[in-house]
Amino acid sequence: MKQVVLIVACVVAFIGMLVLGGISPVEAAQTLFTGSLGSPRAISGSLKETTPLLLAGLGVFFALRAGLFNIGIEGQFLLGGFASALVALAVPGPAGLLLAMVAGIAAGALWALPAGWIRAYRNGHEVITTIMLNSVAVALTDFLVAGPARAANQTGATTATIPTSGRLPALLNSPPWNVSSGLLLGLILCGVMAWWMKRRVAGYELQAVGANPSAAEFAGINVRKVRLNAMLISGAIGGLGGAIQTLAFEGRFYQGFSPGYGFDSLGVALLAGSNALLVVPMSLLFGVLSKGGTSLLILGVPKGLTNLVAGLVILISATIRYRRQAQDA
Amino acid sequence: MLNTVLLTLSMATPLVLAAMAGYCSERSGVINIGLEGKMLMAACVSALVSISHGPVLGVLAAILAAIIMSLVHWLATQRFGIDHVISGMSLNAISAGATNFMFTRFSDPDRSGRIGTLPPLFYQVCAIAAPLALLVYVAKTRGGLWLVAAGSDPEKARLAGLQPDRIRLFALIATGLFSGLAGAYLVADTGVFTDNMTAGRGYIALAALILGGWRVGQTALACLAFGFLSSLNLLFQGTDLAGVALPSEFWTSLPYLATVIALAGFLGKQRTPAGLGKT
Repeated sequence: MKQVVLIVACVVAFIGMLVLGGISPVEAAQTLFTGSLGSPRAISGSLKETTPLLLAGLGVFFALRAGLFNIGIEGQFLLGGFASALVALAVPGPAGLLLAMVAGIAAGALWALPAGWIRAYRNGHEVITTIMLNSVAVALTDFLVAGPARAANQTGATTATIPTSGRLPALLNSPPWNVSSGLLLGLILCGVMAWWMKRRVAGYELQAVGANPSAAEFAGINVRKVRLNAMLISGAIGGLGGAIQTLAFEGRFYQGFSPGYGFDSLGVALLAGSNALLVVPMSLLFGVLSKGGTSLLILGVPKGLTNLVAGLVILISATIRYRRQAQDA
Repeated sequence: MLNTVLLTLSMATPLVLAAMAGYCSERSGVINIGLEGKMLMAACVSALVSISHGPVLGVLAAILAAIIMSLVHWLATQRFGIDHVISGMSLNAISAGATNFMFTRFSDPDRSGRIGTLPPLFYQVCAIAAPLALLVYVAKTRGGLWLVAAGSDPEKARLAGLQPDRIRLFALIATGLFSGLAGAYLVADTGVFTDNMTAGRGYIALAALILGGWRVGQTALACLAFGFLSSLNLLFQGTDLAGVALPSEFWTSLPYLATVIALAGFLGKQRTPAGLGKT
């Protein structure tokens, strides 16, 4: 029920902003719909936008269950995408594909390590460290892709293109339909995570730390270790998201690789609340808004709109959660 | 040499103002991740209003905008009991989106040249006056004592007959004032508004606050240090250091890296206000 209210609030906020911007709501809603769900081609596009949001969303969700805000998904996503592009270019074929995914996961985890360690052992807030690391990640990848890692024959800041044999295959490719297996990987991961959180001791411990760290500590859970691990795994998932983005869709890494998936995924994870399976519909919602938003650009709607809606939704969802708790108490 | 000093001061100005904004809020017990968003909103509003109604109204509108955002934060955290970090973050997201939206929508794309603003000197004077005023206020007045009491132990403050909610309301208005100035300074300094022009300064200011142990003097010093690191970017970009030209990205990253290292606690122990984030 709550989720339905939130989705409605999200769409209403989105359209409300358009009206404020001087665009007729009917036209906006129509453009939004045809641009995102109106044709097989548009639906394929929405699913493509959904994939990185699903993976990054799962990453944020994982940390969130341990009570940590991993705003650093953006940076982990970038590093993961970059590392996997390098490896996939160096090692050809399916073996390279596998190695590239591993490299992406490792790069993401590595980038989350300082934030996790500082949170767990130094009590420095992870929101600040991860945001700072995001800026560093952008600078680092910008530098590398413009200099050492730039393709020889390219004028722009981009790596070479990975040959098709080293990419993730399409799940369904009969134009106008096109669905990548990256989406399937995300769905599988989501299922595994939901199962793990519900059925495994470690999953229980993770959520115990998120719900009440002092009680968890008292119950004999090593809170610091859980926090560090949660951040590392969250970063690893973010890195995997970047790797899939490279290997399934982009086929290369370039400056401006992520148009802000990291932040949107925060909205996805917060909307999903406590249920990992809900990350799927929420990422789909943001994917649709993002794809539809691209069509709205033609109407002169600025791109900051999704951010604005994400922020509003986070605020609304937090208020609703509080109201419900107040009622329960 | 003089160049470095001037650049450091100009880089430190928004940091000091933002850090003082954070000081008011966090000393009263409200975690304020949202400084970044307040600054950005203030920068955008000051640019828009300065263009249409002149520099003085521009600054006032910027302050007003930041105060309104502060009041939303107060409402969210004190009335609706939302987690302080969630509220601050969503305010940051809202202002990142809203400023992009507002500026694209309401500004004339053909306009060129600097936006007419108050001289940067005005803000620099504010940045010197603000810490001094806060030092005196907290050390010498009853209101200052209340502020610290509300942040150190809201429960005991309540038992002593204070109203932490109200104290925090006024503290957050002060936060709005300072972060509004910090944001408006960015426009005054550069003469333009650009997307996400705060570039993490709100977070760096928070790190300075943590580094300074939530004390005014030390925090201002930390801001100067961060200002110095930022000025290196402009000084050393593209110049050789011991025969190696470090990429400009390295210099850009330096303040961010320093923030992470500062939070790792290598530079001093933490003195968090005991009632931070409590109701």
